[in-house]
Amino acid sequence: MQSEKQKEQKEKLDELLRKADVRQYDCYQCGKCTGGCPMAHAMDLKPRGVMRCTQIGSLERIVKSNTIWLCTGCHTCVERCPHDVNIPNLIEEARYLAAEMGYVRRDSKILNEVFLANIRMFGRNHEMLLAGLYNMLSLKPLQDMPTVPHMLTHKLIGVLPHQTKNTAGINRMIARAEKFSSMRPAGK
Amino acid sequence: MKYSYFPGCSMESTAKSYRLATEYVMGRIGIELIEIKDWNCCGATSGHALNELLGLALPARSLAIAEREEPELDIVTGCASCYARLRHAMHKARTDNASRYNIEKTIEEPYGAKREVYNFLDILTSEAAKTAIRENVTGGLRGLKVACYYGCLNVRPAEVTGAPDRENPQAMDEIVALAGADPVDWAFKTECCGAAHQNDAASVTRPLVWRILKNAQANGAEAVVTACPMCNLNLEMRQDGYTKKTGGKAIPVFSVSELLAVAMGASAGRIALEAHHVPAAKVLASALRRHGEGFAI
Repeated sequence: MQSEKQKEQKEKLDELLRKADVRQYDCYQCGKCTGGCPMAHAMDLKPRGVMRCTQIGSLERIVKSNTIWLCTGCHTCVERCPHDVNIPNLIEEARYLAAEMGYVRRDSKILNEVFLANIRMFGRNHEMLLAGLYNMLSLKPLQDMPTVPHMLTHKLIGVLPHQTKNTAGINRMIARAEKFSSMRPAGK
Repeated sequence: MKYSYFPGCSMESTAKSYRLATEYVMGRIGIELIEIKDWNCCGATSGHALNELLGLALPARSLAIAEREEPELDIVTGCASCYARLRHAMHKARTDNASRYNIEKTIEEPYGAKREVYNFLDILTSEAAKTAIRENVTGGLRGLKVACYYGCLNVRPAEVTGAPDRENPQAMDEIVALAGADPVDWAFKTECCGAAHQNDAASVTRPLVWRILKNAQANGAEAVVTACPMCNLNLEMRQDGYTKKTGGKAIPVFSVSELLAVAMGASAGRIALEAHHVPAAKVLASALRRHGEGFAI
């Protein structure tokens, strides 16, 4: 007998696979994805392991892994997959789901939020502000700091960007995206 | 030739030499870039990390403006991340009606996805552009050994980029050869540089940069050439640990535009070569000197 919790997990996993357009049994665990993954060395669940978890029904391990936050989206895995299993799609959907379920990697969250705040303010990304705010909020004030004097003297940073004029429109757009995405049609 | 042009945020700041060189080269070979009116950030990488629809709407807004203002022109960008996001939005709007409906509702503007999105490598390898490059390269960087680094998103994912070869692409190799340089065979053409994770996961992504540089040098390259401001920044600015921790030797990193500009006779100051983190002018100057050409550093 399946417990209520298991049943709920299975439903969520099925929905995740459907949204990502991935069929878990397309994967026969050859491992080419992990072999080519540039971030595998730092992942607690390798790309092949992510696929294995979809097969054995362990959604929890996927959403709690650091894998979904460390994936760079380089698409080497799916490029080399003999069955075209779209792992980057799966990971992206798993990231949304993990965020909904409250499992978020702290540093990723800080970077993403600072990034979005930048777009809200300027419509564009102000690289110095992005890195500076990220460093402060993530308590890594010295990261990349040795390169700052060079960048300031050569005016690579420090100049405000030619910002998008219609920032009000950008902010409305972000609000709409957030509102509509909760009712986006399921499936691809 | 004319294109609608999406510069991307890096072009306005850290990619100064790339921007100046691109303007110079495009001017010389007769490609007119018309900047998209009031464009906005494409959202890479956080836009689509946070919310799928936001990740599509951000690039789609700029694309819709481009198609409204210049309906006859295709769109071009010089950044691999922007290229991926713009192309992704175009691809989605073309292949998925529900997505297109949601995008249009979010950006409050029709987006027909009628025009193509290209990167610089695409437009520089057209026959017309190649002929113009040949006509404009004066002396060239004869014998300069370079490793052409394409990165991920200029070539992958295949269904979005349509790139013919994702493991051993050739477009940039062709272009640098026109500039007189000698592209080396190497293994890390399309390996990931860590992209934005160089910020939020620095300790585990720095080695990605180091192994790319190491492989380039092991195959005889004197410099790495890129077609993306973010790849360029990561490969160049993150060399500190490479030299200090792994004992590697610093290697200059250029954009493909800079290489072309110098081969066409631009001075170092004209394209702000001094702005590079790793001294860049010297290796180009000595390549020019190899066949008796001067170069003002």
